[in-house]
Amino acid sequence: MATLPQLVEEDILAIEATLRTLLKQSEAATALIADKGGFLIAHQGNAADYDLTSIAALASGAFMASQSIAGMIAETNFTSAYQQGESFSLFIQEVDEFCLLLVIFPASVGVGTVKYYASAAAPRVARQMQTAQARDPSAGLDLSVLNCAETSGFFKRRA
Amino acid sequence: MAIINQANRELQVKIVYYGPAMGGKTTNLVQVHDHVQTAQGNKGKLVSLATSSDRTLFFDFLPIEAMAIKGFKTKFQLYTVPGQVIYNTTRQLVLRGVDGIVFVADSRYDKMPENVESFQNLQDNLKSLKLDLDDIPYVLQYNKRDLPDVAPVEYMDFLLNNREVQVPAFTACANKCEGVFESLNMITRMLLHKFVNQSQPQYA
Repeated sequence: MATLPQLVEEDILAIEATLRTLLKQSEAATALIADKGGFLIAHQGNAADYDLTSIAALASGAFMASQSIAGMIAETNFTSAYQQGESFSLFIQEVDEFCLLLVIFPASVGVGTVKYYASAAAPRVARQMQTAQARDPSAGLDLSVLNCAETSGFFKRRA
Repeated sequence: MAIINQANRELQVKIVYYGPAMGGKTTNLVQVHDHVQTAQGNKGKLVSLATSSDRTLFFDFLPIEAMAIKGFKTKFQLYTVPGQVIYNTTRQLVLRGVDGIVFVADSRYDKMPENVESFQNLQDNLKSLKLDLDDIPYVLQYNKRDLPDVAPVEYMDFLLNNREVQVPAFTACANKCEGVFESLNMITRMLLHKFVNQSQPQYA
């Protein structure tokens, strides 16, 4: 299975800048990029109020499930999903083969506005991912500083 | 495949607990959540999408950070899949991006056909994602050893671990937290060693 490229500081800064622009334009509360496998990649906005790790995992699962349902009813064009709320809503836009753009926004903001600006932001994120991929597509993992032989147990049971 | 973010030195890894229905996958996550020793803030909430009868509907999810790994902030995401045969599409979704697998088998004799069917289903689902079980670190957990009428470990090895180089297998009573951390630590060790080996320079 193809996977996301390694992301360096330049990539993260560019993606975060795109998310900040999106938040400013749309007046949304929080924007995040999540891998379709459920990993949180980057986020901007109000992070303190939300468990973004869990939101990324659940939203990715929900989006992928909806996309599978769309496929089962012969709908091939499924690129976004909208969860409407009374106080806050969630809009999910597919970025590329690997990741999703999630936008949490107050109910006072119209979903059309969010969708309009998210549609512009998603290709910018996709281009940055392509740039990261093109940097060295065959690059191995640079984990030379990872020290995983230090102790006998990574996860310890509480006494 | 794990997410490596060199910018903030962060590694995110996905481990999926797989196995037949009612085999103890969710119990493993509950025990890890309840008993793991972590620095403050390193353990997330256990999210469980279950039916009214406590059967996993979509997946269970536990984000957690290991204490003993230095160099990278290493975040683990533990998932379970629903074991019921009818939820196969869901299992395929959860397997997307998997890095390591803990296969939780039910040790009772009468559950052996379900264990074998689930193991075969795992291989089939990985193939549908263009993955091969031989390339993914995994461990076996023979759960429910405290119940009567359990099969000998050698017999379960014959059914589930019948390969040239056997993978690590652990006996467990997940409801008593026995074998739970042993399985998790072993899959973690296998995963990280795989990543470190991949990061070594390759010479022709």
